[in-house]
Amino acid sequence: MGQNRILAILLGVLAALVLVVGGLSAVLLFSSDSDNTGPTGVSSGSNELQRTTGDDEPSSSSSGRLRLGGVDPVTLDPHLATDASSAEYIVEIYSGLVTISPDLEIQLDLAEAVDISADGTVYTFTMRENAFFHSGRPVTAVDVAYSINRATSRQLQSTVARAYLGDIVGVREHIAGVADDVSGIEVIDKRTIRFTLDAPKPFFLAKLTYPTAFVVDQQQIESNPRNWTRRPNGTGPYRLTEWRLGERIILESNARYYLDEPPLAEVLYTLSGGSALTRFENDELDVAGISVNDIERARDSTSSLNPLYSVWPQFTISYLAFTTDVPPFEDVNVRRALGFSIDRAKVAEVTFSNMLVPATGILTPGLPGYVDEDKTFPFDPDAGREALAASKYEVEDGRLIGPDGPVPIVITEAGGGAEARIDTQAFLEQWRTELGIEVEIRQTDFATFLSEQDAGELQMFNAGWIMDYPDPEDILDLKFHSTSQLNELGYANAQVDSLLERARVELDAELRMQLYRDAEELIIADAAWLPLYFSQSHVVVNEAVTGWFEPPMVIPRLRFVEIDR
Amino acid sequence: MGAYVVRRLFWLPIILLVVSFATFAIARFGPGDPISVAAGQIRDDEIVAQIRADRGLDGNIFEQYQDWLFKAVRGDFGESFQQRGFTISEIIFPKMWVSAQLGMIALVIVFGLGIPFGLIAARANGTWIDPFVIGTLLFLQAIPVLVLIPPLLWLFAVQFDLLPVGGWDGLFDIWLIGGVIAIPIPDPHLYIPLVAFTLPGFAGIARLTRITALEVQQEDYIRTARAKGLPESSVALRHVLPNSLLPLVTVIAFALAGIVEGAFFVETLLGIPGIGRFTFQAVTSRDYDAILATTVIFAAIFVLMNLAADLVYGVIDPRIRVGVSRQ
Repeated sequence: MGQNRILAILLGVLAALVLVVGGLSAVLLFSSDSDNTGPTGVSSGSNELQRTTGDDEPSSSSSGRLRLGGVDPVTLDPHLATDASSAEYIVEIYSGLVTISPDLEIQLDLAEAVDISADGTVYTFTMRENAFFHSGRPVTAVDVAYSINRATSRQLQSTVARAYLGDIVGVREHIAGVADDVSGIEVIDKRTIRFTLDAPKPFFLAKLTYPTAFVVDQQQIESNPRNWTRRPNGTGPYRLTEWRLGERIILESNARYYLDEPPLAEVLYTLSGGSALTRFENDELDVAGISVNDIERARDSTSSLNPLYSVWPQFTISYLAFTTDVPPFEDVNVRRALGFSIDRAKVAEVTFSNMLVPATGILTPGLPGYVDEDKTFPFDPDAGREALAASKYEVEDGRLIGPDGPVPIVITEAGGGAEARIDTQAFLEQWRTELGIEVEIRQTDFATFLSEQDAGELQMFNAGWIMDYPDPEDILDLKFHSTSQLNELGYANAQVDSLLERARVELDAELRMQLYRDAEELIIADAAWLPLYFSQSHVVVNEAVTGWFEPPMVIPRLRFVEIDR
Repeated sequence: MGAYVVRRLFWLPIILLVVSFATFAIARFGPGDPISVAAGQIRDDEIVAQIRADRGLDGNIFEQYQDWLFKAVRGDFGESFQQRGFTISEIIFPKMWVSAQLGMIALVIVFGLGIPFGLIAARANGTWIDPFVIGTLLFLQAIPVLVLIPPLLWLFAVQFDLLPVGGWDGLFDIWLIGGVIAIPIPDPHLYIPLVAFTLPGFAGIARLTRITALEVQQEDYIRTARAKGLPESSVALRHVLPNSLLPLVTVIAFALAGIVEGAFFVETLLGIPGIGRFTFQAVTSRDYDAILATTVIFAAIFVLMNLAADLVYGVIDPRIRVGVSRQ
């Protein structure tokens, strides 16, 4: 009896198998027919958009669909977002009073005029008349005031509000929960809003370009406080029409956009899928990044990828950092010695196929204040050995011996692999051969790394910094001022502090940049950081796409792109 | 048997309690927490401390666990740090469903192909066919998916342009013929992951079937069956086959538990939004609630499948009496 049952089960399984295999072969046979159903392999009507077209919807003049790879945003709430992958969508869906243009100039956006008082502390914005939310409601000064108040409210708990908006009078009190609203924001009339700052802040407009200052729709948020970000009502050139977690995001052009409807009608971000370059070659994506494994192919002038390949500098720097108040790095000569003994150009060539360029300073190319000259320590092992000899440490059997005995050196990096970062390994080898010092590598997971970095527990570490807005303040003041919360290095140089403080309030732009350049020079000479590399974005772009660019930081770009297909 | 099931089920909450507390404690022992990961490079210590307090992350671990437990029994697994504004349930159940659909089909193929191949090899024992089949299968089983997937992609996606490179678009597409007849056909995104899932598994099942079939053939009752003059086909179908399948029940139970857990490598390489990839990301970003929810759900499924396997044993093998103690 039991045996018959098993036979029946077995037969059932076999029947199912026949069905599946039959189906498989049928599709393999016919799949060439399904090519015309679109290169994403979506062959049914399943991707038809559920468009809720209102009666007053202006007719669309844009066309084409751009296919990009992407990841799920951590959040589409502009006031909470802190990561680049969320910002990528947010800058297209929302907008603020000011924005950053493709050539990195700060530009008026929702505002059509700004008046800055002579002492640099009062900013009066006049809003555009023709700015609307995606829903069709006009954007007014009240919406801006609501948005800034929301971003800085105690309940929202934005981890970036203080950094970006804290210059406005009353924001700190509002974040702390002791004030009901931000006292330094004043709605003059429907189209005029005034911000009062606690001091002249030449970088205030730059900070205001960040999503924390973007405009959100009060009605939508209050009617659906939990889930409004799933279909946000923004003011930007694109609106989100579909988001399937882990599968896809679709943005559609906003016909009401105040700077004219963007030419590109639709952008499809595929959130799943394997290698971007393989999908690009399979005509599933229009843009793909190139990794170090494929770089030779892209550079090969005979390859089909080569004409589509381009390189774009990024506002990202990687560096080795020292905690400057623990042995042996309290001695500047030890830090300098390590700096002189690493050959970054060689490492860039051998391990990164020159996809990164050796850093010439702390400020990245394209940033205000950047000058095209190498300020970093050159590769000069003799100078390195001299610096080490001048230090209070001696080398013995690969160890540094200080006045109080041997001091082991440990470099920490975030990583989960069995192997250390290949550049770290190369540096270790160079320190071993040039200085005779053994350095130990320690890997931790990212969460541990961050927590130890914050606590200033890392003797030496390999990390990176991505610029948030194009102003030297965003890196020099935040990372190196002795009182900055983000200065984990214990680095304190009174001269640097004074330069940075003067730059904070200096209204003459040229003089201000000079102050930053001077501070940068001092910091490099102090070897608080050893700047390693500037990042570059390496991409291939389908020839049907025009106007694509890889900005050095996240800024709106889709409205400058067209596709001829 | 009813009492046996009740007794086994009684243990389920206790097991889950132990598993969840262990996971809870281990996840929190390391330095760092999901908030520091989520806060980004510009952090605000005051706000971070405030979020920690609101999320109950600064209290003592037993209180934190108690809070979590009370919510979890009501089906509230908390909120993800990787995906703000979505509850854990909203994120993980669709992902488990994706993994489970793929896993189910793979399982059908694995057993559907594995059992016949194993039996063929066993019957051909002593001829060249047996080592040939087994050798081929061993070879297939030995290919790691990491090695298997790239050539498959190169061949079917890039060279012949037949299949998409990865991703997920549901199980079936509907083809309309003449606008009237709708035929569901498997979505082209399925094939490469299915091959990657089934090749090693199929080989394993075939080898297991072969071994047990060979053992069964040595048994006295098979000799008896032959001795009483049963034709060889009857011996194979009525006696060898059913008895060889017994050990497979255990394997099926574990495999069923495994399919909802997803497969990290296949999902990552092919960009399938399944639970395996998500679990890995949850661990690396210290997404406490997500780690806990997936671990506890996996544990529950594992226990239930084990119980199911024991019960099925009792049904199909009269010699095994589930829940009856020896008097």
